[in-house]
Amino acid sequence: MTQKITIGPFSPELEESVYFKLEADEERTITHVEIINGFIHRGMESLVTKKNFMQNLILTERVCSLCSNNHPFTYALAVEKIAGIKVPMRAEALRVIADEVKRVASDLFNLSMLTHLAHNHELMRDTMNTREHMQDLKEIIWGNRMDMSANLLSGTKYDLDERKIKLILETLDIVEPKLRDLQERYETDEQLRKKTVGVGVLPKEDALEIGVTGPVARGSGINNDVRVKAPYSLYAYRPKLRPKVTLREEGDVHARAMARFGDILEAVRIIRDVVADMPEGDTYVEKRPHIPAGEAVVRTEAPRGELIYYLKTDGSQKPVRMRWKVPTFTNWEALKVMILGDKVDNVTMILNSIDPCISCTER
Amino acid sequence: MKIEEFNNAIKTKIAGGYLFREDKDNYGNLSAWITLQDKKDIETIAKTVKAYKGRCVVATGYKNEDKEGHTVIYHFDIDGTLINVELFTENETIVSITPILPSANWAERELREMYAVEPIGHPNKDRLFLDYSIAKGVLNEYISLSKMQLGVSDTDILWNNVKKECKV
Amino acid sequence: MSKVVPKVFRINTGSCNGCDVEFVAAAFVDKFHIATSDVEFVDDVKDANLLVITGPLTARSESFLKNALTKLKKPFTVVGVGTCSVSCGIFRDSYAINGPLDKFVDVDVNVAGCPPRPESIAEGIAKGIKVLEQKLSGEVTPKTIDTIFSDFSAPASFRGRMDLNPDMCTGCRTCETVCPSTAIKIEENEEGFIHNIWHNSCCYCGNCAYFCPTGAIFSTNSFDTVKLQNEKFSDVNVANIPFEECSCCGEKYMPPSRGLLGKSYVHDDVNKLNTNICSKCRKEANFKRMYA
Repeated sequence: MTQKITIGPFSPELEESVYFKLEADEERTITHVEIINGFIHRGMESLVTKKNFMQNLILTERVCSLCSNNHPFTYALAVEKIAGIKVPMRAEALRVIADEVKRVASDLFNLSMLTHLAHNHELMRDTMNTREHMQDLKEIIWGNRMDMSANLLSGTKYDLDERKIKLILETLDIVEPKLRDLQERYETDEQLRKKTVGVGVLPKEDALEIGVTGPVARGSGINNDVRVKAPYSLYAYRPKLRPKVTLREEGDVHARAMARFGDILEAVRIIRDVVADMPEGDTYVEKRPHIPAGEAVVRTEAPRGELIYYLKTDGSQKPVRMRWKVPTFTNWEALKVMILGDKVDNVTMILNSIDPCISCTER
Repeated sequence: MKIEEFNNAIKTKIAGGYLFREDKDNYGNLSAWITLQDKKDIETIAKTVKAYKGRCVVATGYKNEDKEGHTVIYHFDIDGTLINVELFTENETIVSITPILPSANWAERELREMYAVEPIGHPNKDRLFLDYSIAKGVLNEYISLSKMQLGVSDTDILWNNVKKECKV
Repeated sequence: MSKVVPKVFRINTGSCNGCDVEFVAAAFVDKFHIATSDVEFVDDVKDANLLVITGPLTARSESFLKNALTKLKKPFTVVGVGTCSVSCGIFRDSYAINGPLDKFVDVDVNVAGCPPRPESIAEGIAKGIKVLEQKLSGEVTPKTIDTIFSDFSAPASFRGRMDLNPDMCTGCRTCETVCPSTAIKIEENEEGFIHNIWHNSCCYCGNCAYFCPTGAIFSTNSFDTVKLQNEKFSDVNVANIPFEECSCCGEKYMPPSRGLLGKSYVHDDVNKLNTNICSKCRKEANFKRMYA
């Protein structure tokens, strides 16, 4: 007997609204998946053409609060490519610091949601509390726990003095041992392993065909990290900065979580490396640079994978066309492979394992 | 993969001819820009990308202001190298490459709903993000029709309320 | 009156997920008080009596929200979390946005912020509970409710409510131009400029302060943005920037701000520089001085 099951669009297990229509057999094994999207579609590609370049520094940040730094960062790279602006080295360093801080916080949020959905409350609380250190750091240095407003066209809005660098290092000193402890517990915790190992498997061949990126790709043994494959910003100038990514072959929920731990610990290492050798100089070229007519495509590595921006300008104050593609946009199709043949009770956890950023995806 | 290698691979296969240029970003990463004379040649490009184990990253579209029709740009990735392929359609149709490269799936569905450009041969006919209460091709218009019919913006309405309730 | 057990259910109507992420922090991290209180988080909207709603209400969410609202038993309380739930904020006037929320449901408490701190979300839930208690006992909802969690503080660098120093402002409209969510409006009348900042439309990004050439507009670290619905349109910072009368020709003119003068005349006392003269008369006087 086939049973029909719906999940969403509003559910405590779903951070963002999405609607699953499933069919399952007697063993609650899923035989058919239909996913309805569009709940977070805000028409942002239309909005960006109605706002000027300064306003878009902030609008792009509101694409998604979890990778909120990557959007203005990548948007700025596109503008700078068109305007032929060379960003000061100090600004490149500051951009990378902001980005890696966000990566740690974003990945930790995903992991705490994973343990929440796996009903492992102790691990969940410990992960959330570890993340709080990063949240406090962001609020003290950048003024907000989620949206840092760090980027400017041609540089950064913020700078770091010795006091702030000390605060960053002190925070990392507190967080790093906690992260290593969490990594060990996520790897070995029996209850979590039982819930996540072998669940939501994405075989490597499917991963390649669908074109997944980020930790979802790394969990299936593929490395297409933009910081490594097409390095930008300070990653381009300092090859040692590029992450040594964690690759896992299992392709399951657990493997993706552990790939994220690899990202987090590398992010901590990267931040330490950058602040240990901060380039001197300005933090931007011009507060309000002139943007000529042109076209550019740029990429960065967001916490969830490859982020690409296309920008077309005509010399006016507003973009003619701006389009961006976030990792979840392509990772989403992999969900069907992961969910089909798995259990109904695992659906929200499998969804969480691609670290879906629906607001990014639907714009 | 070297860009030259890709160019050599498509040279003899693109029937309609194409323009080719190499571009370098501010950090030295090379990418290719290919402009197809005949939009149908996108299938050949997709097959070549597939042969190199590449993927479709996304596709961008926009309505041309000077000449009727749409420009569509596919962005492909082969092991970290970007290949941007531009084509032009005057009748709101393109050949879908999703049957060749499944990674183009959502990008083409978005072209359909945002620009009313139909990817012929696409396996999925449903809307993706755009609600059925909104007509497809919404990005073709500078101001959306539904908002234009209202005459005033939400911003005006709300600020009027602010003015009414906030007397100094 | 018997104690109400607040049963909370969250609905995301198209937010950037910032408010939803911070809601989770408010719900699970002890220091934000909600996790240690007797608030219950229910799995089904029909069991809720306190709705936390985020997002600017997208076209696709509308019918699902309406449907969810029919399942609730009255009385219930609605807490709108995030600037975009209150006024659609930065997403306003998009084809895909049907909000704000109060078009479709009676909102009780608004929590502005982008995203609000978990402290503010906790405060919003606490105020929502107060309103719920009053609804259950048949009392009229008061005009304001005093801050419930008075032990929260924010670092000095927190980008909170914006403020303006009118002495430094010249009405140049830079802030209005760079504000991404039309939270600033500058009007002009015979007396001068009126500078308005509507906190419920503000996305607390600090763009205005960053680009302001004189430092007139600035963010405070106040996160006092949890207000009742009746305060929605009146939570505005209004400042008058008066014209001066030219001592020479009598015309009204906008004097340069002391902030700007200080930047140009670094070695002089700016208070002594300006002798109430409009730019036109100054030009004439300078011309006479040099060529007469």
